[in-house]
Amino acid sequence: MAMMPGRLGMVPGAIPENPLSLSWHDSAWIPILNTANVMDYFSERSNPFFDRTCNNEIVKMQRLTPDQLQNMTGLEYVLLHVQEPILYVIRKQHRHSPQQVTPLADYYIIAGVVYQAPDLASVLNSRLLSAVHHLQSSFEEVASFARYHPSKGYSWDFKSQKNTTDKAKSKDEKPREEPSSLFQRQRVDMLLGELIKKFPLPTPPQPKTTPAAPSSKTGVENGTSESKEIKTENAQEKIKPPPEKKPRLN
Amino acid sequence: MSNKLTRYEKIEFLGEGQFATVYKARDVETDNIVAVKKIKMGSRQEAQDGINRTALREIKLLQELHHRNVIGLLDVFGHMSNVSLVFDFMDTDLEVIIKDNTIILTTGNIKAYIIQTLQGLDYLHRNWVLHRDLKPNNLLVNSNGVLKIGDFGLAKLYGSPNRINTHQVVTRWYRCPELLFGAKLYSTGVDMWAVGCILAELLLRVPLFPGESDLDQLTKIFAVFGNPTEENWPGLKSLSDYVEFKPFTPIPLKNIFTAAGDDLLDVLEGLLVLNPLKRFECSKCLAMPFFSNKPAPTPGSKLPLPQNIRKTEVERPTLKRKLLDAVEGGSLSKRLFF
Repeated sequence: MAMMPGRLGMVPGAIPENPLSLSWHDSAWIPILNTANVMDYFSERSNPFFDRTCNNEIVKMQRLTPDQLQNMTGLEYVLLHVQEPILYVIRKQHRHSPQQVTPLADYYIIAGVVYQAPDLASVLNSRLLSAVHHLQSSFEEVASFARYHPSKGYSWDFKSQKNTTDKAKSKDEKPREEPSSLFQRQRVDMLLGELIKKFPLPTPPQPKTTPAAPSSKTGVENGTSESKEIKTENAQEKIKPPPEKKPRLN
Repeated sequence: MSNKLTRYEKIEFLGEGQFATVYKARDVETDNIVAVKKIKMGSRQEAQDGINRTALREIKLLQELHHRNVIGLLDVFGHMSNVSLVFDFMDTDLEVIIKDNTIILTTGNIKAYIIQTLQGLDYLHRNWVLHRDLKPNNLLVNSNGVLKIGDFGLAKLYGSPNRINTHQVVTRWYRCPELLFGAKLYSTGVDMWAVGCILAELLLRVPLFPGESDLDQLTKIFAVFGNPTEENWPGLKSLSDYVEFKPFTPIPLKNIFTAAGDDLLDVLEGLLVLNPLKRFECSKCLAMPFFSNKPAPTPGSKLPLPQNIRKTEVERPTLKRKLLDAVEGGSLSKRLFF
């Protein structure tokens, strides 16, 4: 999740607007943070994630009791989850009635630093984008080694450009710090897995009724969309001439 | 005359002021609920001066004023040496609403109240009337959520350049700095300052400047806005009761009204300007973005009502439900017999 800011920061112009690329903290508060005061910390004026026209602030300003929040409609923040002393999750939600609320966003406070939790679409978008980006850059790199001569046809030439590739590699190493750590990937994969268990994909059951085998192949546990993306890339690969020539050259 | 005495049937006693007693009554002819304000005659000596001055002001001005957000004077009648004024019946007032802690005043609610106040006041000012005693207690609200400006006991025509007015008007907490400095020539600004104080009170649920004396009142005002100077308020020092105050550093309004949006803070800053000539007029206020921005003002029927009024309205359906329950219970027991 922490990888998000850097990733989305790549989108030009969207950096200051995108709340996912922001974090906020007030170092004076961090040593004294606890369950009782974390909402006060979150409602600090300088916190960019806090909308001061929310119901919580209205209740505070009008000196009403906090349980009045239940009877109000509109924007409110609630403390959703606590894992003392390191993690607090705060939810921003729209209240329609004492019973009905619509969640709008979650914020997590890790070690006193506040982040907005990305929505699933942003996570998937980011994952797909980085996968496609890496595939594309690898194709570009491979394509730069391909040579064509009218008499020989296609051939690979790795020797002449070795120095440049080394440079490219050293350049690549820096942005590689940005992608997620193994821990983060596993966590997100686990969350995605759980989500898919909770909300099974609606399309697979239809082919299941006729042939059982192909459906099980396509319905790979999680990240079906990702594997699909990769498959289309593979199809393109087959069309391209260089791989066909591979065995001859080797 | 005699039929007017019987026209209004007393329902209940509502309250007693310095000059009058107010009853809730039914108009037999129209079946409307009205408020009858019976002016006290007082001592014989007072009676010699004729009809009470505040009552006279109310009769004189209200007879000609007709607006949705100004209390309607429906009738006036006399009996012996008594005079009674018949008004629209209003269920409650903003003071009761502000003090009722079970009520939440959302931005939409506040917007609805202030729009109605400004529209009523705009009408008064356009007709050369100063109210001179605006406070939550005088902004009356009925069960349909309609707000009407009431109590014209201090109201007066303004605009005559040589007419000197008294500065001993407006309840202190809502009194503007020029009145506190003893200005005798003043204008609509005195009402606008009061509206600013009322708006602030709707937001905070406590008075913004609860001064204990006239000097304390000015101290509380300057503690928020800083001291006025000849630069931002030319002519200030020529006011008859002007005194120098110890210097204050102004507090940003957003630190006081923490949940108020920027558009709302702009309205407050327009109304609570120390220099009366720079203070916004009703029409200028109503044109500000706050009144057209989201959230929309709460429709009258959805505005909150204080507990005592809500109760009477809730009790009726519960009574019905009890009756229904009794009927259902009866049918159930019958079934058990079979």
